[in-house]
Amino acid sequence: MKALSSNERHEEGLIQFVSEHAGAKMLAMTSSFPYFFIGRIIKVMDDYVILSVETTNVAELENREWHLHIHDIEVFYIERDGWPAIPDLKETGGDG
Amino acid sequence: MKRFFHIVAIPIRIVLNQFGDHNPNGMMYVLKENERKVKRLVKKNPFTPVELVQPLIIRANAGDDIEILFENKLPFPAGIHMEEADYDVMDSDGAEVGFNHSSLVKKGKKTTYHFKVNRPGTYPFSDLGNPSSTEKGSNGNGLFGALFVQKRGSWWTHPETGGPITSGPFADIHHPFLPSFREYAWLFHDEMETDDLTGNKPINLMTNEQSESTHAVNYRYEPLGNRKKLVDEGVVCPECDGEEVHHDSWVFGDPATPILRGYKGDPAVVRLVHSGVKETHVFHYHVHQWLKDPSNADAEIIDAQSISPQSWYDIEPLYGLGSMQGSIGDAIVHCHLYPHFEAGMWGMNRIFDTLQDGTQYYPDGTRIKALQPLPDRPKPPKPTKDKPGFPNFIPGKPGFKAPRPPLGIEGGRGLTQLEKNAAIENPRPGAVFADPCGFNPEAPIVEYRVSAIELPIIYNRQGWHDPKGRIFVLDEDLEAVLSGEKEPEPLVIHTPAGTCVRIAFTNLLPEIAGGDVFQMFTRTYEAGFHIHFMKFDGLVNDGANVGWNYDSSVLTGQTIHYEYYADVELKAWFYHDHLFAAHYQQHGVFGSGVIHPRFTTFLDSKTGEPVVEGTEITAVHPLIPDYRDLSLFVQDFTLLYNRDGKPIQPPDYPGSQDDPGVFGVNYKCEPLQFRLKGPGDPAYSFSSYVNGDPITPVFKCYKGDPLRIRLIQGAQEESHSFHVHGMRWKAERPDVETRFESQKHIGISESFTLETLATHAGDYLWTFATEEDLWNGLWGLIRAFDEPVEGLIQLTDQKQRHPVPLLLPEPDGIPPVKAAEIDRPASAEAPLRRFDITAFHVPLNYSKYGEHDPYGIVFAHKEDIDAILNGLKAPEPLILRVNAGEEVEIHLTNALTPGHFPFEDGVWPYPEVKEQAFYPPSLRISLHPQLVLADVKTSSGETAGFNFDQSAGPGETIAYRWYIDHAFGASGLWDMTDIRNHRSLGTFGILIAEPRGSEMLDPVYLTEENKASSIVLKHPFLPETREYVLVMHDGVRLEDKKGNLIIDPADGILGETEEEDLFDTYDQGSRGFNYRTERLIRRLERHEETAWLFSSKAHGDPSTPVFEAYPGDPVTIRLVNPSERRRAHTFRLHGHYWNADAMDLTSEVKSFDGPIITGHTADLKLHYGAGGWYGLSGDYLYRSGNIRWDIELGMWGILRVYKRMQKHLPPLEMKKADPK
Amino acid sequence: MALSNEKWAEELGMLIGESILVVTRSDQLNLFGQTFRPIFAGTLREVGEGHLTLDPVTIKMVTAPFFQFPVPLNIPLENIAHFTRHFAPDKVFPLT
Repeated sequence: MKALSSNERHEEGLIQFVSEHAGAKMLAMTSSFPYFFIGRIIKVMDDYVILSVETTNVAELENREWHLHIHDIEVFYIERDGWPAIPDLKETGGDG
Repeated sequence: MKRFFHIVAIPIRIVLNQFGDHNPNGMMYVLKENERKVKRLVKKNPFTPVELVQPLIIRANAGDDIEILFENKLPFPAGIHMEEADYDVMDSDGAEVGFNHSSLVKKGKKTTYHFKVNRPGTYPFSDLGNPSSTEKGSNGNGLFGALFVQKRGSWWTHPETGGPITSGPFADIHHPFLPSFREYAWLFHDEMETDDLTGNKPINLMTNEQSESTHAVNYRYEPLGNRKKLVDEGVVCPECDGEEVHHDSWVFGDPATPILRGYKGDPAVVRLVHSGVKETHVFHYHVHQWLKDPSNADAEIIDAQSISPQSWYDIEPLYGLGSMQGSIGDAIVHCHLYPHFEAGMWGMNRIFDTLQDGTQYYPDGTRIKALQPLPDRPKPPKPTKDKPGFPNFIPGKPGFKAPRPPLGIEGGRGLTQLEKNAAIENPRPGAVFADPCGFNPEAPIVEYRVSAIELPIIYNRQGWHDPKGRIFVLDEDLEAVLSGEKEPEPLVIHTPAGTCVRIAFTNLLPEIAGGDVFQMFTRTYEAGFHIHFMKFDGLVNDGANVGWNYDSSVLTGQTIHYEYYADVELKAWFYHDHLFAAHYQQHGVFGSGVIHPRFTTFLDSKTGEPVVEGTEITAVHPLIPDYRDLSLFVQDFTLLYNRDGKPIQPPDYPGSQDDPGVFGVNYKCEPLQFRLKGPGDPAYSFSSYVNGDPITPVFKCYKGDPLRIRLIQGAQEESHSFHVHGMRWKAERPDVETRFESQKHIGISESFTLETLATHAGDYLWTFATEEDLWNGLWGLIRAFDEPVEGLIQLTDQKQRHPVPLLLPEPDGIPPVKAAEIDRPASAEAPLRRFDITAFHVPLNYSKYGEHDPYGIVFAHKEDIDAILNGLKAPEPLILRVNAGEEVEIHLTNALTPGHFPFEDGVWPYPEVKEQAFYPPSLRISLHPQLVLADVKTSSGETAGFNFDQSAGPGETIAYRWYIDHAFGASGLWDMTDIRNHRSLGTFGILIAEPRGSEMLDPVYLTEENKASSIVLKHPFLPETREYVLVMHDGVRLEDKKGNLIIDPADGILGETEEEDLFDTYDQGSRGFNYRTERLIRRLERHEETAWLFSSKAHGDPSTPVFEAYPGDPVTIRLVNPSERRRAHTFRLHGHYWNADAMDLTSEVKSFDGPIITGHTADLKLHYGAGGWYGLSGDYLYRSGNIRWDIELGMWGILRVYKRMQKHLPPLEMKKADPK
Repeated sequence: MALSNEKWAEELGMLIGESILVVTRSDQLNLFGQTFRPIFAGTLREVGEGHLTLDPVTIKMVTAPFFQFPVPLNIPLENIAHFTRHFAPDKVFPLT
């Protein structure tokens, strides 16, 4: 079997890392519109992570499932035990 | 593809509206095939507008070769000068410049022009054979048009018939791979000489004085004055009086001005062109928004655009006609300058929701012309009896005012059956025919109760006040404001994006207004709440009274409910009353709302308590940096009285729109005439040690706090220039790749958000930088503290430290000391570059005709002083060139001496500013730079707030340290010790930050030279480039060679003028480039041939800079305007174009730069180098775009591209790749 | 192949606990309208086969160069354009 290249190893490793945290809350930033997602990881399918998205930059695109191409996520954060929690974002119209 | 046009320039009578207002001496371009027809139609209809009599609009595709056979039937040599195109300047410039052949033709003759049009966009054309600013000039009389260049592969049809169209302002554009769209020509123009039906100058019936100048669109205007006649004569409802009613089609029928028609959702482009001669207008289009730069998806979203003469913009409404919410009805399109609006510069975008096939009628019986649906869009439904479509479901009566909207007014009416049929599923107050909040049913709903009230407002500590101030106030603050407990300020409401906003507006304004030395008595019986930006139902919610829409305002004492959706614009939305705006907006009837990022909460900056409103608050966010939110509203036409009740700058007669009054910012002003305490030296006008803090806003923050400054103009008509000393921001906020700027031109109703921070602790001076604004008190401070203090909360995402009590120094009239030590703003490794500069008196020769300023003051490099004083070197504005990454140390020496100023009391009879007063010339000097990083306390070049003294007294030297952190290109330099007595005399220059590793050479000797206005820039990794400096300046006071004062513009106008123009303060003064001018009157005196005005064969080269290059040479022009007046200029260069933003390769490409006003900076990197696309030799004219009065007064010069090698000019080194 | 944190870090030539500056591929990112270049400074807390984690992490926004993001950020290795070691998060440098 041909040895994996560095690129391939990194990509596989990333998919593996995300898969291990199904059920956790994830924050993702992408260079493509709408640029930002917070949601719960449902599962990983091929090289996509399926998020149940609670929050994005634009309200109309929330509360639905999004399939994010893992390799197009610029940076992200997955909540884990012992790690900081992702802040809660509530819409209050401004009075906090 | 080759396209051929035969175009004739003819004299023709232009009728501008149905009342018979006309220009008997009009001039227009027309297609030959239409020439006889249009003359025949005009002869048959001497007093009604003829559809064919509109500016010529022709079309082509990108990549086309255009051939124009031009025929001149006018009594002077004329031509077609086309902007943005590529052409040979020897035969197709439409001018006679320098040593070029002439491409103008005499009467009766023809010539052929060839143009290549490589980019889609608007290519305006006009005449340069007769650039006189008088009423005999060609542009003012209508000799202009435009070529609209479409994307390759496009074709176009007539919107009414669907058939072919060879010219005309409206067309439907189609393409195999792109959506079809509506294209509308909107050519603003001003100052056209107009007579009324009787052949006399129109009289304003309210004031009995001559009407305002003509301000029009596409040769049409619909002034209030004419329509008012119908009300006064009882032809229409006598109770239909009122400023806004003159837009009402129920009363008057549709206007003669353009009505842009389409169906809901149609993609559309408004091709906005300024074909006029003088004013900077502001284009505003209700209900819709667009990207400032349509080629950049990350550009700012705007809904108002300032446009200076000879500029153009493509306005592409986001989401198509009706915007995201699908609003229908009439969206008014107009110039937002109120006197122009009143003078008739408006039209409409009419959005239909039912199919128009020519069988329907408007409520007044006029037939609705057919409108072909766009072929790739669903056809709108046919009108039926139950659903007749707009405007026939509205229960109005022709001849009477439009009805009030259903549901919105408390105590008002419900829906008629027809309205119910046309309504959305759940009609409610403010949202009946469109549902802006419907996309997001989960959107939080926020309601504000706002009232409009009248109360006296005090503007400064000397008692200047407006006894008839009118403002918006939150109902919950009514008592506090009326009792004096809460200081009146413009109402700023804060909401996060994604909110549904409801406003309950109560009109508490008295019905009586005016009746004093400023204004005529007016019955202001209704008021509304008109907003920009947010999404709403235009029919019922516009807060206006336009076309066939409802009148969505209320009478005194009533309350109306509005609804809007704050989607994602993230900036301040302007609001004001639309019903009597021209009468009382300048009394304070304006405010704004700010849309913040979602999930933001708002806190009072002093206490940390939650707030909903305020011009200075703190915004807190869980995921992005917290910031301070600061709002500034600039005002003009501010009608004030002094403490003795004497009016300040009253107009010649009440109701005159000729720049009455003075200025304000957030209902305050701090005029400099009152800031002469202590030594009485203007150099300390901004110092709080000497004069105390100003009453204008002193915003507070901590060093490093992110700031969002919301910049808005609340009233009324003029341009202003906002500048923050020591701060800078990205030009297009959503796009990180744009350039930095520290100055913004603003016109009425524009809104900008400037995102910046205080890099150092200290007092940052913000100004409205033109001389008259600053003199009359439009400035303040942003105070950045080092350590936390009580009374200013810390941002929650920063390390919280224990606050100390806030202790500010007591003003004692004693100037501060200079800083003992100046911290290095750069890191230790930064290379240091030192400049020794001296300021001294030297007469400045502005032209070869002996026009000069005997009182010139210049900044020069020490090593050049002797040569300048001995006449061996002609002085130029100071030029400092530095490389990015360097730290600059300036040693500024003051060689000024007393007795060298024209007016020892500081009161200048010419050029004037309003409300002059004693302000003795300062003998101190300083130098302020834009865009550098520096400690504002020591090195900003002014003595502001509680900063150190940054000026040098006579004989003294002061030091500054600036860090040039990146290659920001051109930035302005100017003195801040005496903005009244120094600036006109030449105390300014330019700083250029070049890329790291640049070398600068003299273009002739190729020796090291970094001070000249023309150099060669050399760099190991970049092409060798010719760099030219243009310092565009105005407000100059010149004497002729006999020592007589030259009073411009009057003394510089070409030809006789009947007009008795008393020139506004901001038009006064001579002007030019780099202390040089070439006034055309001098040339006309030598040869009376207007065609030769720019010719060097007839007159020799101009006194202004003549820059030299070879074809293909890379060229960068560094352009700044560091000087004084409030009239915005446009800069043009024939035959060349560049990216509007030098830092952004994807920014739009234009052949002009503007509006240009005090503090403007630009880097113009010419595409394809000198000679443009074709690389052709010739003389290329660079100039202002303002025919009134810049071009005549000498604001022009030449870029000379040589065909053959010149002995004196070595070629640039062209790098070639080494063959392997 | 499951290596430890420290071993993965070694593969990249870094040490857990050190301060680094990382720049990822995209032109710019967008959070609720706040745009910024993807320039991150922080402490290397974790490295996996496909990602590394900075905690705490500062985003070098041009108007707020020392803004500490409320949660750590996981950065896919394939998205890293370049990084540099021994970089103090409070170091001042031009951001354009």
